Amino acid sequence: MAKTPTPLSKEFLKGLWNENPILRMLLGLCPTLAVTNSAINGLSMGLATTFALLCSSILISLLRKIIPSQVRIAGYIVIIATFVTVADKFLAAYLPEISKALGPYVPLIVVNCIILGRQEAFSSKNGVGRSIIDALGMGSGFILVLLVLGSIRELFGSATIFNLQILGDWFNPWMIMILPPGAFLTLGLLIGLGNWLNERKVKI
Amino acid sequence: MNDIIKENDNNITEEKVVPQKKPDPRSKLAKPERMLVLNSSPHLHTTKSVHKIMWSVIIALIPAMAMSFYYFGVRAGLMILTCVVATLSTELVMNFMKGEKITISDGSAIITGILLALTLPPTFRLSSAVLGAVVAISLGKHIFGGLGYNIFNPALLGRAFLQASFPVAMTTWSNPITLKYSAIDAVSTATPLGAFKFEKILTDYSDLFFGNIGGSLGETSAIAILIGGIFLLILKNADWRIPLSFIGSVFLLGSIFWLFNPNQYPDPIFHLLSGGLLFGAFFMATDMVTSPITPKGGWIFGAGAGILVIIIRLFGGLPEGVMFSILLMNGVTPLINRYTRPRIFGESRK
Amino acid sequence: MNKTTKMVIVLTVITGLSGAILSSWDSVTKPKIEYHKLQALKVAISDVLPSYDYYEEKDIDGKTIYIGKLNDSTQPTGIAFKVDGSGFQGNLSIMVGVDPSFTSITGIKVLEQIETPGLGTKIVEDPSNKTDPFWFPEQFVGVIFSPQINVVKNSIPQNSNEIQAISGATISSKAVVRILNEDISIMKELYQSVN
Repeated sequence: MAKTPTPLSKEFLKGLWNENPILRMLLGLCPTLAVTNSAINGLSMGLATTFALLCSSILISLLRKIIPSQVRIAGYIVIIATFVTVADKFLAAYLPEISKALGPYVPLIVVNCIILGRQEAFSSKNGVGRSIIDALGMGSGFILVLLVLGSIRELFGSATIFNLQILGDWFNPWMIMILPPGAFLTLGLLIGLGNWLNERKVKI
Repeated sequence: MNDIIKENDNNITEEKVVPQKKPDPRSKLAKPERMLVLNSSPHLHTTKSVHKIMWSVIIALIPAMAMSFYYFGVRAGLMILTCVVATLSTELVMNFMKGEKITISDGSAIITGILLALTLPPTFRLSSAVLGAVVAISLGKHIFGGLGYNIFNPALLGRAFLQASFPVAMTTWSNPITLKYSAIDAVSTATPLGAFKFEKILTDYSDLFFGNIGGSLGETSAIAILIGGIFLLILKNADWRIPLSFIGSVFLLGSIFWLFNPNQYPDPIFHLLSGGLLFGAFFMATDMVTSPITPKGGWIFGAGAGILVIIIRLFGGLPEGVMFSILLMNGVTPLINRYTRPRIFGESRK
Repeated sequence: MNKTTKMVIVLTVITGLSGAILSSWDSVTKPKIEYHKLQALKVAISDVLPSYDYYEEKDIDGKTIYIGKLNDSTQPTGIAFKVDGSGFQGNLSIMVGVDPSFTSITGIKVLEQIETPGLGTKIVEDPSNKTDPFWFPEQFVGVIFSPQINVVKNSIPQNSNEIQAISGATISSKAVVRILNEDISIMKELYQSVN
């Protein structure tokens, strides 16, 4: 990567589609499935994860030459956990409703594969600027999928999106969509749709 | 074999006419004295076809459909019609999306529609039934690759989806006679299983046998299901081991618990006649695609489902567990097939 | 500098920095988090107790009770306390208010629950009932809990100690009633042993 630098725009866009953390790499599925029962939960989870990803990417990319490779995982985890705790406390202090809805899944961002994966695969080998772009791209891809997933599940499960009534009273909400099986079904169909679109793109 | 020899002959004559063309080196290899014909399985053939089996199942379902019509009136007919139209249209759409030949005439989609309709409560909304039918065909069957590839019984999968989506509507039952005579004011009632589980009320055997009870459209009348089921078994279109071991294990386990404490647990006859046990055992569990192919596997499948039914009915939160027990056993069917594979002749016992 | 020393130093610095960041951030957020907790408690108490001007906190045997009082009287208007127990899927935590003589309930509020969304969650709020989404908790207002609260299904309660179950969520409804039946009597004994 260092020999032939990829354009920065590509570094950002790969997170949105070609290397989308959820649709293409199937990373970080636990929060994806657990908290997306509404659009607002999906969005806030996405934002919290992106915050932790961005901050730890910056720091780790700065420290990449200092941290000895033998203890890098321990170092990364401490750094990630710090930022996740910061995000968790922030939500609890300023957005108590969302903090209550997300429950234990905010502290669990620490073990989200996307964050540690990006540090191992990218920030520890690239400069700060590039790492920021990469983190933002990956984060946006993650937010996008969580938002779409949350919106679909909220639409069919509660007839609303962001608590706004979308479907009228004629619609009987499908309870399954806000239950865990709904998360698996919707995510499966989304991944299928992603693969299908990708195949078409290649053919054209 | 003759064709191949003739083709070779032709090649040789052609070579003579056009001498500059080099002889194909493969022709030396392809001159067998005797040809061995290699085929992949199946080696045993029968005159049965998917088409014939499916239509015999539909005929076997006629008594149950007739009884549901008798007890629940026009609503039953409407429900069956809606579900069948919905499954057929979904099948058609799926065929187009996958770019394969149209498979609606093989009857499997019609069966899924009828089975789904017969397992729904009589007052269930038709629009929601359509959703169940669409899920049954698309997520239950075609997403796995179509008929023969599905892991779970499509009709039961559709019903499970509805159960999770509309838990209240799926457990609101109505009294058959009131529903028949006044189409609007259905009197809400409990199923015999629900009545026993929550209020310890036993239902009369004759009502259970003929179907004058609250319950899903097709599951109430034991006699209609028995007629259809026995018809299926006589035609050998269903593995007799599955319903026998299924019902047998429920009877056996039910008796044990009943003898142990008759006040706490219902008697085995009640277990057999109430709920969806007979319907599930004869029409859902015997689905050829989702049940084991070996005879021993059939026994295991039925017994496992029966044990699960008793566990769910007596100790679970729900009054009825036939649907979940069959779906669970569907899930382990590949495993059962694997472990009950007959020993190849001459293979040593491990 | 050998490798081991470097590892130790780097990790120590990282963890030290992390501790510094977290402790300073904690000092910023802690008062706010505490404030939200207190606010939630106040709302819960005011929801379950009849009108009062202030409330007193009192510890009896490790259990906290909140006694609502009026400014111009020493007589309590009601007593609130938290009860816990298992629901359909996990712990249920309920704030209960009772009248000072411990005979009837003045209100309940479910604080924590992980019941099935759309079914068991109706013990908190029922969005499908547009006119009265809080019909289930509101039923408990005025319910006399001696000898015990009973649950009826599919019919309107006739007696003053009966509650109508949520259809499709009988287990959650019964769990609430069971927790109340068990814990109110314990609290009653505790309270009366002191007063």
